[in-house]
Formats: sequence, structure tokens, C-alpha cells
Amino acid sequence: MERSNNRGKGFLMFLGRRWALMFLVLESLVFSFTAPAFFSVKGIQIVLFFGTTIFLLGTAETFVIITGGIDLSVGFIMGFASIVSAKLTVIFTRMGLPPGVGILLGILITWMIGLIPGYVNGTLVARLNVPPFIATFSMLGITHGISELLIRGVPAKNLPYLANAIGNGYFIYSVPGEIVSLFKKPIIQRGVLLYEIIPNVVVIAFVFILVFAFILKRSKFGQHTYAVGGNIDAAIRAGINVKAHLIKIYMVSSFFATLSGTIYMLQYITGKADAGAPFLLDAIVSVVIGGASLYGGIGTVGGTILGCLILSVLETGLRMMGVPTFDKYIAVGIILIFAVLVDQFFPELIHKGD
Amino acid sequence: MPSNGSMILDSKGRGSKLLMTAAKNWALLFLFLLVAVFSITGKGFFSLTNFQNIIHLSTIFLLLSAAETYVIIAGGIDLSVGFVMGLSSVLSAKIMQILHASALPEPASMLIGGVVGLTVCIIPGLISGTLIARFNVPPFIATLGMWGVTNGITLRICQGFPISFLPSKLVGLGNGYLLYILPGRAVSFFHKPFGIQGSQIRELVRIFPNSLLFSFFVLFILWYILKHTKFGQHTYAVGGSMDAAIRAGIDVRRHLILTYTLSSFLAGLAGVFNVFQTGIGNFTPFSAMYELFAIAGVVIGGASLMGGKGSILGACVGAVMIRLLENGLSISGVEPFFRFVAVGLILILAVVIDQMFPELF
Repeated sequence: MERSNNRGKGFLMFLGRRWALMFLVLESLVFSFTAPAFFSVKGIQIVLFFGTTIFLLGTAETFVIITGGIDLSVGFIMGFASIVSAKLTVIFTRMGLPPGVGILLGILITWMIGLIPGYVNGTLVARLNVPPFIATFSMLGITHGISELLIRGVPAKNLPYLANAIGNGYFIYSVPGEIVSLFKKPIIQRGVLLYEIIPNVVVIAFVFILVFAFILKRSKFGQHTYAVGGNIDAAIRAGINVKAHLIKIYMVSSFFATLSGTIYMLQYITGKADAGAPFLLDAIVSVVIGGASLYGGIGTVGGTILGCLILSVLETGLRMMGVPTFDKYIAVGIILIFAVLVDQFFPELIHKGD
Repeated sequence: MPSNGSMILDSKGRGSKLLMTAAKNWALLFLFLLVAVFSITGKGFFSLTNFQNIIHLSTIFLLLSAAETYVIIAGGIDLSVGFVMGLSSVLSAKIMQILHASALPEPASMLIGGVVGLTVCIIPGLISGTLIARFNVPPFIATLGMWGVTNGITLRICQGFPISFLPSKLVGLGNGYLLYILPGRAVSFFHKPFGIQGSQIRELVRIFPNSLLFSFFVLFILWYILKHTKFGQHTYAVGGSMDAAIRAGIDVRRHLILTYTLSSFLAGLAGVFNVFQTGIGNFTPFSAMYELFAIAGVVIGGASLMGGKGSILGACVGAVMIRLLENGLSISGVEPFFRFVAVGLILILAVVIDQMFPELF
């Protein structure tokens, strides 16, 4: 229909539909000029490295928000997972297992345990009709309490050095023209410029995010997710087992929160109960910036990642400029409201052509 | 609601009537149960001092829960109350600090600081209300936006530190009692009896904290407005069915803006009171989650997040229950971390009861 209009309007439409992307580009440009170190290989990787948590929590929220729910517990499930994985790893290494096996076992078992809060959330929401807000808030309290009990005020410690090497290591190390090595930091002389490319944790995070983005976009599971969020009655009539599906969705969300907790453990070599607390807002905001609707049925993982990038660039850029991080919260609040207003005023811009 | 209840009464007779009353007031019963249990497990729990202490500490939560009650009944949610409270607390403390430093009399600086703090805190509510009512922004998002903005402004004002060096009379007012009795010897209002010895302070009986007086006064007004005025009826109408309210000729947009402004104002009141209670301007830390505990209190008190249901009295029971639980657990020597778990479990219980017996409420 819009094709019939003149060209200028078509271009405006094109821009409006991608306002989040435009905003990201604009933001990056501004920071490239105001913060000298921002536009560099290192700067971009810092954005990704510190954004890993938001990427994962945002993906977790995306699934839940598409079904029309909300998950407030992701932040503290993340803290819970960081503590459990740290504790398990320490126990396994004490038992005499090699550190690599210990870390791997610790993380895998934590992933299993991390499905439990999601299962409980999903059961409460789907089978007992508890509103998602209340169910997940209760789970927030419960996971917070349990993680504080597990550590009793002292952060988990004595993790093997390998955890640090994985969490803060890079995928590729290279001295231009001479050495290229994967995973392992080459031994070089002092003063030689070493390029470190793609942090390991970003690779781990994106493997999972891409797999689940694919599932959401192309599989029956994904289609059912949109169906449940779009119109739950229609979904029931279409023969979808809505209750079982909702439980699975909350388990996916909880799994991503757990994943982000284990990555936190690798990054900071400790476990902390409130590790994810400040990121709850960021996660929800990035989903909304990415074009999802809190009423359900709309949203994509790609959009969420774009939203996460906007927030991550904002935080890193402001920090590099030396602006106090307090201002970040003001900016995030304003961007959030702006995103929804754009959505309200130009609905035809956003949801055409999807 | 009443017709529904009476129908079941007719069919089942007396025994179920008792059960109905019990289930309808389960929150209150649970509160009494908690008091009974903690009286046995905790030494010194069942005492006048401790009960006054619990009320004193729950004042902020009572105000925030009352604020949420209005918003939740109108079918919305206000996530910004915790940080609006921090904003008013820090702002009024900052103004008091400046005026106090410029040698203004203490009452004047306290009054000006408090009034400015309260007035400014109307603004976030106005903005989020306008966004919600005029621009159809979901309440969750609009107030979450205000959450970020107020938090940022608060931290900017206080630079991440509590604000101190305030007038010294503040704490006396916020932590004072209405009545002081030295058994058999002296009675005085609002201040300790003059010429009291150090050893006698232990025997001094303090009755009726000022904070109780204050919260009772505010909550009574709010209860009256919700129950007996047109504004309250409209709030229930808007929450019950938005379309019906519009058709009934209620100016829904204006009403929603007023509701969010009221909620924000009450959060501001809680913040100013917090300054009086602690004697410093506290910013709200991330892990405090005041808004979530306020919402939990309202839901425990029988409100529905779908709107149209809830009461100030219920919210008060819910808010006091959370504080009482915390107080009782710590007096009984249980680790404070169990509080989070306990609140979560009670919240689930509240909603599950609500879901299982819809005819009760």
C-alpha cells in the first residue's frame, strides 16, 4: 500500500522502521568523537564483553514477554547460578578432579539445577493461574534467600585459575604477521602489540542465543510461542498444549539466566547473590526497545540484541567519557519511554513487513 | 461480591459461614498466627515496645502499599514508588541541609525542605500518569521509565552518599512518642519528662509513637477517600471495567493521571517521613526493592493485579505482615535471609488461595 506514495515517504518509513538501528549508529558515532578510545577493536569488544549479561538476560525475557508474561526473577536466578556453579567447581576441584573437568561439571550441573526455578515459575503461572508478575517475584525472593544462605555473606572463592583464563580469555590472539593462536595467549616479548579478538564468553553466549533465535524463528516451538502470546484462546483451540508450553518457556528463561550466572562466575571468578539485580531493568528495556509488546505476541531475539547493544554502548560510552554512571539510569528511562511512544504514534512503521 | 457470598451461605448453612469468614480474612488470621508463633519462639517479641517498634518500622511500607493500592485497584502498577521515595528523601534532606547551614531556624528549614520534597514528587506521577492515560503507554513501562529517571536524578543529587548534617530536631519528631510515663511519678506528652535521671530512662514507658499517629492519620484519609467518596468509587470502576467506566461518563484519563499523581505523592510522603525517622537523606539502593514489597503487601491483602479489587485495610495487613515476619524471624534467631524465602512463599500462598476460592472474595 505504501508503495504508491512518493519516494521520500518510503525512505522515512524505512528509517522509522529501523529507528533502533539508527539510534545505535548515531550513538556510536557520538561516542566515537567524544570518547577517543571508543572506536577501536578494544572498545567494541568491551561493549560486547560487558554486554554479555544483558544479551543473555534480554534473550530470557524475550521468550517470556512474547507469551505475554514477565519474568522478574532472572536477575536473582543469575546470582543463584553464579554461586552454585562457583561452589560446585570448588568442591569438584577439592575432590581432586582436574580444574577443566571440575569447571565443566560444575557448570553443567548448575544448568540442570537452574531449570528448577523456571519449572516452578511455569507451573505456578500455567497450572495455578498465578499472575506472572507475582509468581516470578516470589521466585526472586526465594532464589535471593537461598543464595544468601549458601554463601552467608562471603563471596564464593578459591576457584581454579582456569576459570579466569576461560572467562577473561579471547578466542583469537594474534601478533600481526607473525603469530596466530587460538584460545591460548602466546608468549611474547614485552612491548609487542598483541591483538586479542572476540572474548570467549561472547562466543559462548552467542552460540546459545543464535540457537534459540533459530528455534524461535523457524521451529514449531517458536510458532507456538507467538500463538500463545498473540491469543491464548485461539492457541488452545488450535490444539496447542498451552500449559506445557508456558512451563517450557519459563524454563528457557530460567536457563538463560543460569547461563548468564555461570558466565558471570567465569568472568569475575566469584559468585554473588545480587550479581544480576541491576540488570533486570536493562533486560526488560532492551526487549521493549527491540520492538516487543508487553501484551504479548510480538518480539524477536534480533530486536532484543539490538536493544541490548544500545544499552551496552550507552553504558560503555558514558563510562569512557568519564560521565558518572548515575546519568545512565536517566538515559535508559528516557529511551524506554521514547521507544514505546514511537511504537504508539507510528504503529504502521514498526509492524509492517514482519 | 456480597450477593455471590450470600448465595453460597444459603446453600450450606452455618459451618461453612464460619469457614467463609475465616477464609475471607485469611491474611488477618495468618497475621495472628504469626504473632502467636513468634511469641513462643522469640524472647521479648510479645511486648509493647516490640509491637510499637514493628509499627514504627513499617510506616514507610504502609504508605507505599497504600499508594500501590490505588494504582492496582485502577488496574495499573507503579514500579517507581521506591525511587520516588528516594528522590523526595534526598531532595528534602539536601534543602534542609543547605537551609540549616545558612542558619535558618530549625522548624523553618524542616518545613521548607519537606514541602519542596513533597511538591517535586508530584511530577513523576504526573508524567507517568500522562504517558499512561494520554499516550497509551503500558503502566509497567511508563513507571519503569520513571524508575530509571528518578533513580538517576536522586543519585546525581546525593552523589551516592547519604545526606547528613540535618537539623537535630528531625529525629526527635520522627522517633518521638505521644505519651511518656514514668510509672507512679511522671506523665508527659511529646517529650521525655524533664529532669529525668539516667537510671530512670530504663523504666520509662513510651506509648503511641508519633509515626503511628502519622500513618494512622494518613491511612484513615486514604481509606475514607477510597471507600466513601466519588473518587474512590471511580477508581474501582476504572479498574473493574475501563469501557464501562467510559460509558458511565467518568473522565478516565483525568482519573488515571490523578491516581498516579496520588501514588507518587504518597511515595514522596514516605520519603520525607524517612528523613524524619533516620535523620539523614537516604537514596534507594537497587537491592531494596521497595516497590516489589509494597506490591506484595497489596496482593497479600487481597487485591488483584487485574484491577477492580483491593482495600486499604488489606494492604495494611499485608504490609505489616511482611515487617512482622522480618522482626519475628530475627528475634527468634533465624537468619535474615529466610525472610526473602518466607515473603515469596506467603505471596504465592496468597494468590493461590485467591485463585482456588474465587467465590470467597
